[in-house]
Amino acid sequence: MIRRLLIANRGEIALRIIRACRELHIESVAVFSDADARSPHVAAADHAVAIGPANASESYLSIPKLIAAARAHSADAVHPGYGFLSESAAFAAACEEAGLIFVGPPSGVIARMGSKIEARRLMTSAGVPVVPGETSDDQSDHGLEKALARVGFPAVFKASAGGGGKGMREVRDWAEAREAVQAARREATAAFGDGTLYVERLISRPRHVEVQIFGDHHGAVTHLFERECSVQRRHQKVIEESPSPALTPALRARMTDAAVAAARAVSYRNAGTIEFLLEGQGDAATFFFLEMNTRLQVEHAVTEAVVGVDLVRAQLLVASGEALPWGDGSLVQRGHAIEARIYAEDPARDFLPQAGPLLLYREPRRPGIRVDAGITEGGEVPVHYDPMLAKVIALGENRDAAIARLVAALRDYPILGVRTNIAFLIGVLQHPRFLAGEVDTTFLDRESNAAVSDALPPFLRDALFQIDDGMSQPRVQSAKPEASEDPWSALRGWRA
Amino acid sequence: MARVTITRIADGTYCVEQNGRNEIIFVAGSPADRWIFWNGQVFRGDFRAADPKRAASDSAEGRQPGAGPEAGADKGGEPYHVRPTSVMAPMPARVSKLLAPAGSIVKKGETLLVLEAMKMELPVRAPADGTVTAVHCREGELVATDTVLMELT
Repeated sequence: MIRRLLIANRGEIALRIIRACRELHIESVAVFSDADARSPHVAAADHAVAIGPANASESYLSIPKLIAAARAHSADAVHPGYGFLSESAAFAAACEEAGLIFVGPPSGVIARMGSKIEARRLMTSAGVPVVPGETSDDQSDHGLEKALARVGFPAVFKASAGGGGKGMREVRDWAEAREAVQAARREATAAFGDGTLYVERLISRPRHVEVQIFGDHHGAVTHLFERECSVQRRHQKVIEESPSPALTPALRARMTDAAVAAARAVSYRNAGTIEFLLEGQGDAATFFFLEMNTRLQVEHAVTEAVVGVDLVRAQLLVASGEALPWGDGSLVQRGHAIEARIYAEDPARDFLPQAGPLLLYREPRRPGIRVDAGITEGGEVPVHYDPMLAKVIALGENRDAAIARLVAALRDYPILGVRTNIAFLIGVLQHPRFLAGEVDTTFLDRESNAAVSDALPPFLRDALFQIDDGMSQPRVQSAKPEASEDPWSALRGWRA
Repeated sequence: MARVTITRIADGTYCVEQNGRNEIIFVAGSPADRWIFWNGQVFRGDFRAADPKRAASDSAEGRQPGAGPEAGADKGGEPYHVRPTSVMAPMPARVSKLLAPAGSIVKKGETLLVLEAMKMELPVRAPADGTVTAVHCREGELVATDTVLMELT
């Protein structure tokens, strides 16, 4: 069994992994950049190591520093979380070379699935359907435009090394082609250090449905059903749920079979996700392999809730050489789980990422609600990292109950000092098309004016002038307005 | 006449009672720069009791955040600039691409430059039709919030 685990990540996922360690009596080693010295994951771990400046490329993305930290603190295993180096074959290989257990698949598998080009070839040979598309060996603007000509419009350029919507650009006609190629390459280079692009046909209004899979060292591969992640904004997932409202039992069986076949094709080990695009309705719908994520997903908690498992615990057991902790046929989806991602961003300003002090932060507590967050009141949201602050996961008897529960929790989740998307999320969760389960990946981008339009209610405006910082009396019974001609003079007459 | 009674429940937490109905609100910041959370919505504004006019005019113009992108834009609250002739950085960022060199004639909404922050590309657009008279940043440069990046006439 793993004795001491270094967690090569920060924020909510680092805390999530530390909690699993506590239950398994594994010592945890957190790492932190200068910007995170006071972050919650640092205090929560048994040990904490400073690994460098705020800039992630010199800290959370520095393989030598992470390996050195693991060695210096006698860790015998490394968990990469998601993002950062979680899908870096080089990092997994460096761990293997240093004699550290990498909590994830072997580096060779990451390398093969990390190349979207190689992954497509592999899936095709395993009989898993893929979206028509191609990668040209000629990666110049001109070469990519020739590939685009063969694939046809509409098309999408993607980063071969990518994920999370970075380095992705849609093109509908030639006028957009050149700028799209250059922007995609720029983002891909900035995010992944590799500007290699491929182009594929854009499936019109697809759903994004992914299957959680899990393999162990003993040749067992299982799936843990699907997650529907069609509610995305600019390719960033915002709301995820399971079961998918789009899947019939027959379609679910076909998709999970394909996912297990895909995992077997690469002798997959540990937790992974096969992402599919789904086109059409009912049993007749068709699905295409999109990509494989060789790591724990942000939205893993949706599966944990609806299937009743602990995926991080299972990751640590399997990485230690144990068999999958679930018996054959014991896994079922029970009820409905749904997750909303809380981002520090301002929906009123084109979702501009926000940073700053958390003046007030109170998590909702109620039955069927789980909050995974990496922040505390009095802390800071640094500008250097991803703006996702937290995830709220609701489990209910059915989809309607789970949605209602999530909305109630979000209405009871005050975060002040930094703008967030909470009001926007509530709007999305109450949108008639979302409630009907009729969403595809273009839903949010087309319905973005479902966004917040909140005017301060009058009672609140009145109350706010009466609150002062020194207020400690149990009852405030009158305000002290100035005499004036403006409407606020109405306050003068107020008495208990 | 409506009455509002306020009870402090805990740090930053108040119960506001009006006409027999209770609402819980969360409050932070100073009265001059208040943050308020109520029922899933966040408001921010100046609520100094001594100067109610200021807050009154703010809310009358729909300028408090949360008023929505359109209301903001109508009143000159266009996201990426403060003065009509200066284009400023909305947050600390790296200049990843300069698209409009000095002398460019640009249309309102045209992308002038692209910033990169928190792993995202942020296009900075022209607030109005005009000519780029000066560029105060270079590609690759790190800029702080409110740095003037470009000037337009």
